[in-house]
Amino acid sequence: MAFLPYVGMALKNLFSKPATESFPAGEREYTDRYRGHIENDIEKCILCGNCQRNCPSGAIKVSKADFTWEIHPFSCVQCSKCVEVCPVKCLSMVNSFTGIPSRSPARRRQRS
Amino acid sequence: MAVNNNAKKISVVPFGPQHPVLPEPIHLDLVLKDEKVVYALPSIGFVHRGLEKLVEKRDYEQFVLIAERTCGICSFGHGMGYVEAIEKIMNLDIPPRAKFLRTMWAELARMHNHLMWLGLQADAFGFESLFMECWRLREKVLDMLELTTGGRVIFSVNKVGGLRKDVTPEMLEQILHTIDDLEKECRVVTDTFLGDPDVLSRMKGVGVLTPGRAEELGCCGPFLRASGVKRDCRMLGYEAYGELKFEPIVSYDGDCYARCVVRIEELYQSMDLVRQCIAKMPGGDIDVKVKGNPNGEYMVRIEQPRGEALYYVKANGTRFLTRYRNRTPTYANIPGLIETIKGAELADVAMMILTIDPCISCTER
Amino acid sequence: MKISKSPWILHYDGSSCNGCDIEVLASTTPRYDLERFGIINTGDPKHADVFLITGGVNYQNRDVVQQLYAQMPDPKVVVAVGICACDGGVFKDCYNILGGVDKVIPVDVYVPGCAARPESIIDGVVKALAILDKKRERMEQGLAPDEQAWTNTIVRPGSQEKQED
Repeated sequence: MAFLPYVGMALKNLFSKPATESFPAGEREYTDRYRGHIENDIEKCILCGNCQRNCPSGAIKVSKADFTWEIHPFSCVQCSKCVEVCPVKCLSMVNSFTGIPSRSPARRRQRS
Repeated sequence: MAVNNNAKKISVVPFGPQHPVLPEPIHLDLVLKDEKVVYALPSIGFVHRGLEKLVEKRDYEQFVLIAERTCGICSFGHGMGYVEAIEKIMNLDIPPRAKFLRTMWAELARMHNHLMWLGLQADAFGFESLFMECWRLREKVLDMLELTTGGRVIFSVNKVGGLRKDVTPEMLEQILHTIDDLEKECRVVTDTFLGDPDVLSRMKGVGVLTPGRAEELGCCGPFLRASGVKRDCRMLGYEAYGELKFEPIVSYDGDCYARCVVRIEELYQSMDLVRQCIAKMPGGDIDVKVKGNPNGEYMVRIEQPRGEALYYVKANGTRFLTRYRNRTPTYANIPGLIETIKGAELADVAMMILTIDPCISCTER
Repeated sequence: MKISKSPWILHYDGSSCNGCDIEVLASTTPRYDLERFGIINTGDPKHADVFLITGGVNYQNRDVVQQLYAQMPDPKVVVAVGICACDGGVFKDCYNILGGVDKVIPVDVYVPGCAARPESIIDGVVKALAILDKKRERMEQGLAPDEQAWTNTIVRPGSQEKQED
């Protein structure tokens, strides 16, 4: 009979857990390799500017005069090229998001 | 005074660029004679960004990330084609493990593309529950991609000289399990779609393109193979395809239903190719060291999920390339689309545009 | 009557690569399911409250985006999804791209990411709904929905200065 395949699917759907993730009510887990956002361990940074030169969209700005390193999340494509070219390995790709930023969102890190 | 009853009205209806069923902006002026389409005038250019000129401002290693973003759906193929052309110019011999991993990721990208296309085709019909079911199954393929590469639609794993990330044996085991579960669920969905009487009555015999005419107009990909012409670029043997066993899938009817059948069979063929890749995967390195700058020109052909794509690169010995040109499959299929729309009814136009699987951002770059 | 309990979405793609569009469509599918909040993806600008726009603006679709925005009835919110809509993204230096969407229409919420994840898009839409409620309250009190007037600056091709319209 024509409705028998659908009866099987209907019973399976009644007793299995829902396909929907409970976001935003629940927490979301990302895989280890997921490319979220870039963090800089500023005390190790030597402000060489290698990351600024290799970024394909110009998201990183390094200023030796003010000892600052800043990244603009509106331009970051999460490619991790900066992580690969850093000579002291102070940059790392973290697998979570920082949330929706406000209008001027550049993330600054100042070295002491 | 006699009224001329034979004069049927000619009207012009604008279709797009914003339309509920179109995911991308394309504009067609449909010239109608009483609900039947007489001619369609396409007008493209809404997505043109001019990214081929960016080779003058970004060096050849950074440009992979930009070439990948030509299109978010066919993105792995674009990155792979560009990188292959540069490697051939510089005579780099990449290790076999990198070739097999690239093939595996290209076939996973083909699977997620065909599942996405099936959902959008069902949605253009009004069959919304099949759209939801297909995209739920597609999430499992995206989970596999996120586990291995780190991104859901844009992967960023290709680089000149090989790959940036390797895959562990546990990940390969997980991929094999997921594909086995996925195949069973996909069979239920595709048998429902292909056996449904509504689908048959709307698609059989509609939009027929004969094999001679399809070749004359320069069509490629599943659009061409559904008209009976056996042409598939994967038989050229690039990357690891020379060591895998498969045959191109062909159908001889040339109508919309045949195009659906070809893509659905290709979905199952891709699952089989991923299994073959994992079984034959060699060990070793995934990249070679790159020294110097490219000098020369080369052209590469790749089978993207939508058809045959060409990549031409010209370099002159400096860090910046002189020219990069990419000919995408949808650009070659648009004349075939205009030919099949003639004589169709206005309500069928949206469905027929989706049978060529248009990717307008690839066409216009 | 609270419109933010069930807003309708208009989605338009202006010169994007389709990555973010696929993620916007994937937000309505069973895994992330925006439809359980009463959100429907409509195609008619006169029915919509939230304008989800992806991709940057180029010289050809500048007028299309402005027309769609003008056709939507007040109160309305604009959510720019993906870095190309926020400020041009990787294609900032291309000859045909004017920049992000805020060069031609006022934007309320920016969602970064390349491609933006469905969870970020859901977060952006939830923030936009709070702004929609505030705009509706202002309209009921007789004020204009936007707190500051947005001057419509249009950049003409070939000229460096912006002209106020």
